[in-house]
Amino acid sequence: MEIIQWIATNIFGVPAILLGLIVLLGLLLQKKSTSQVITGTFKAMIGFLIISAGSSIITGALTVFEPMWAEVFGLESNTFSNYMGQEAFTTKYGAAVTLAMFIGFLINVLLARFTKFKYIYLTGHMMFWTTMVFAGVVVDTKTDIPFWGFVIFLSIIMGIYWTFQPAIVQPFMRKVTGNDNIALGHTSAFAAVLAALLGKWLGNKENDSEKIKMPKGLEFLRDSNVITALTMGLLFCVGAVILLIKGGTGAEKIIANSGDQNFIIYSIIQSFTFAAGIAVVLLGVKMFIGEMVPAFNGIATKLVPGAKPALDCPVVFPYAPNAVILGFLGAFAGALIWLVVLGYSVAYVFVPTMIVLFFHGATAGVFGNSTGGVRGALIGGFITATIVSWGQYIMVTFLIGSTIPDTAMWAADTDMFILSAFIKFLAQLFF
Amino acid sequence: MKILCVCGLGQGTSLILRMNTETVLRQLGIQADVENTDVSSAKGEKPDFILTSNELAQTLEGHPSKIIIVNNYFDLEEIKTALQTHLN
Repeated sequence: MEIIQWIATNIFGVPAILLGLIVLLGLLLQKKSTSQVITGTFKAMIGFLIISAGSSIITGALTVFEPMWAEVFGLESNTFSNYMGQEAFTTKYGAAVTLAMFIGFLINVLLARFTKFKYIYLTGHMMFWTTMVFAGVVVDTKTDIPFWGFVIFLSIIMGIYWTFQPAIVQPFMRKVTGNDNIALGHTSAFAAVLAALLGKWLGNKENDSEKIKMPKGLEFLRDSNVITALTMGLLFCVGAVILLIKGGTGAEKIIANSGDQNFIIYSIIQSFTFAAGIAVVLLGVKMFIGEMVPAFNGIATKLVPGAKPALDCPVVFPYAPNAVILGFLGAFAGALIWLVVLGYSVAYVFVPTMIVLFFHGATAGVFGNSTGGVRGALIGGFITATIVSWGQYIMVTFLIGSTIPDTAMWAADTDMFILSAFIKFLAQLFF
Repeated sequence: MKILCVCGLGQGTSLILRMNTETVLRQLGIQADVENTDVSSAKGEKPDFILTSNELAQTLEGHPSKIIIVNNYFDLEEIKTALQTHLN
């Protein structure tokens, strides 16, 4: 029994070790060379550990951003209290999340093998975040869940989602790409489908976005580091200036945090720290996903004849490059409107994460354009911002508040928001 | 030889391009070290070749590495043609 206990604590209890073993197995099955097996396994483990380090940088910047804007709106700042946080959550539940990802993928492969839905979900980073956020929702519902019950519950949900999300989007995807070779495997699916439907209803297909001339020099919007720092910098600066003008005890207390530094300079550095934290997390995710996805792909192509890969959302961008920009602009405008509305109506400080807004808004833009031209693309972006802002408010306030609201604020997105209430309901039912 | 596959976020799309590039290189019998990353990081690296989309190639203008444009990251034929044109 001691051996079983030891394995449970030191292998299944340590997510980095478990992940390393899964990747090692994958690389051995692919018959990689010894050096590739060693470097791949090491990179996956280091990558996983980098994620936690980056998360705490992001949380640090968010704990400045949230009270600042709460003070701007004249709210009591209380979102950031009594929660586990990404780092502690990963230590405790990271192994369950890792296993659920792996078993969930196997369920996806089995469903693709034996049903007519031949979609294999290959967007590794979204697999990770979706499983992580859903795990956060489940633990928020009930804390004392048996390890294997938790893993199996999550695996089944993920396997079903990864198979049927691409299937539901495919009729609309065919309209965008003009063929049936690839599918969309991304959590922006709900916004994309809604954009295509609304575009058909409210838009004008004749006025295709690719007919208009876009101003040059907007390419920088595609650089995720730049847009994140730019918009967060803008919001931090606006918040800082308002506090400086407003004054009062609450504002002075926040301004005092900057010490000898000028408050605006301090705020700018905070916004860049937020962007830096995201860059660190993305590096970590890239390192372990880069080893895992090729292994998954190898398994799937062997087991599922005629498999259709469900891919990350930028695969649709080349089909309508202007709609990408229009979708983002629609999402950006929507985010600013909802930031103010949410602040004054439900007293919630919305964190407009540009990665979510850009990639999801752009995808919805491309789908909206396919049925409704320029207007469809803009509506698609705006719909994305609406789901993301209200979804973030509902999730952080009611569904994930005790576990990882810090992650939900910047990494949770469209489909996760739409499905999370359902996940909570199922968790209440089963545990 | 080092080849870098680049997309906006450096997560999913560039990884798919990396996997497809590795497949094509295997077919062509060429040995190369293929990595994937985001467009910001790519600016600080100096591989022999960068594979990316037309839009991102514009933000990498003036980069010392040879930039090869691939429009459809999933079209093995396009990747093969692009690589053959530039590697020879």
